[in-house]
Amino acid sequence: MIEIHHLHYHPILKDICAEFAPGEMVGLVGPNGAGKTTLLRAMAGVLRPTGGTVQVMGEPIHAREPRWRACRVAYLPQFVADDIPFTVREFVEMGRYSHAPSGVLGRADAAAVDDALAVMGLMGYQDTPLANLSGGERQRAAIARCLAQEAPILLLDEPIASLDIHYQLDILARLRALAGEGRLIIIALHHLELALAHCQRTVCLHRGRLVADGLPDEVFTPELLRAVFRVDARPFRDPHTGALRLSVSAAIPSTPE
Amino acid sequence: MTRRRAWAFGALAFALLASAALEIGIGPVIIPFWHIPADTWAYFAGHRGLDAVVVGAIRWPRLVVAVLAGSALALSGAVLQAILRNPMADPGVIGVSSGGALGAVIAVSTGFAARTQVATPALAFAFGLAVAAIIYRLATSARRTDMYRLLLAGVALSSLCSAIITAILDLSPLEEMQQMMFWLFGGLDGSNWTEAATLAAVNALAMPVFLRLAFAYDILTTGEEHAEAVGVDVERIKRVSLAVAALIVAVAVSTTGVISFVGLIVPHILRRLMGPNHRPLLAASAMGGAVLLTLSDLVGRTAVQPAELNVGIVTSCLGVPFFLYLLYRQRRGRDAGL
Repeated sequence: MIEIHHLHYHPILKDICAEFAPGEMVGLVGPNGAGKTTLLRAMAGVLRPTGGTVQVMGEPIHAREPRWRACRVAYLPQFVADDIPFTVREFVEMGRYSHAPSGVLGRADAAAVDDALAVMGLMGYQDTPLANLSGGERQRAAIARCLAQEAPILLLDEPIASLDIHYQLDILARLRALAGEGRLIIIALHHLELALAHCQRTVCLHRGRLVADGLPDEVFTPELLRAVFRVDARPFRDPHTGALRLSVSAAIPSTPE
Repeated sequence: MTRRRAWAFGALAFALLASAALEIGIGPVIIPFWHIPADTWAYFAGHRGLDAVVVGAIRWPRLVVAVLAGSALALSGAVLQAILRNPMADPGVIGVSSGGALGAVIAVSTGFAARTQVATPALAFAFGLAVAAIIYRLATSARRTDMYRLLLAGVALSSLCSAIITAILDLSPLEEMQQMMFWLFGGLDGSNWTEAATLAAVNALAMPVFLRLAFAYDILTTGEEHAEAVGVDVERIKRVSLAVAALIVAVAVSTTGVISFVGLIVPHILRRLMGPNHRPLLAASAMGGAVLLTLSDLVGRTAVQPAELNVGIVTSCLGVPFFLYLLYRQRRGRDAGL
């Protein structure tokens, strides 16, 4: 579904190669400045790489026009402004731009918006101004806007950062359900435990390079956690829930490079 | 459509009709409102009585030019505020006004204006577009237009144009200076049907383009990256919008001279009434600009009779306090942590 060949974006990304298939829920992890946002933007086609290619459904995404891209890839940037002067429904309707650029929405568009609102549990907030929502609700509205695009691929840049634990788990559960329906979901995450527990696959970036790619428990080795995240930590299986957890014992002191 | 929007459109339509009736009826020759249709009909039927000539040859073209120039300025202001994502933007920021004024002043000072009537509007139009093109070029690299660089380039080039205009004024004889002042402060004196037709043609071109892009302007308020993410070709939208806005403002400036603040005040007030959606906002701005310029012209013509104030002076007298009020409100909002 997405094939990345020797992707470079000087000086941030270096020689990234990866393939992603439908139905996967992929956690994109890495420390600050690793290149997660840049990689997502390159995959979404909004950033032109300095080398290599990103193919989406067999087509080089940077050679296609924005509306073509938006029909196939829904990308949620990291920051959603808190002063957007539209209602929740109007904001989600913006996701239909690639289908109805004039803004005159038909029945199919209205149905897609209704579905997106329903999936994100926002039907009761349709006419609420976006600025009146809590951070978690606003983030759900932003994901609903992505869903309204009806794209088979969702790229989400830290959609749960700064949310409380309820909204974090709620949004991840909803995304996992969407992956179960056959969509490809790639989500940049800072919270390693959540990546471990909720993603089927983890891709780890460090200083612009892809350093690990696989099942979460294969990726989060004590060695990788020490080298990349500079923490003494190890994954373990929770005896009560059976879920993978991370036991972090200490941060490794920084040394001058 | 919400009830509030419907009321606002109704009020604008009424204000437009009322201001049009006042603009035609009031002046050195008073034309009773109920005589206007008959005098208009008489003029176009070829009668040349005093009232018919005043209505058909002087007041109607002046009104139509005021309506269309006001619409053009307010419309382009609304569009520039959308693509610059700055509620304080107005057509002045893309340099068309200052470029147009420079062109007009050069036409008068070089004597072209005395040789042919079209020289001044033609040079105002050409300089207006040229300055806008230079500003756009300065703000664009690698096919991306940086809106902050555009604003800075606009301020810098407008200052340069003002400096050159001041130098020319300084060196010009009094008679030429008066002619130049008309362009610097904008006026509707001597408006004619040809100018009205030109303005009507560019407005008719611009309005559908802007309305077609209205949904994209809505999306741009969420940020450029969000807009790109949902499929908006942000650079193309900015390019087309700037080009069309520059064109209609250049035609307006070449017809009426520099009229400031219409493009700032009207969209700003109407956004509060119409909400953030650009489709109704653009339509309302076109109507509101027409009302403001018509009423400003009426004030200019009647406030200090028998003399006339240039309409640009009236809009500036309204616009400057409004602009300062906006700055004050913004500061208060920040102080209150809003």
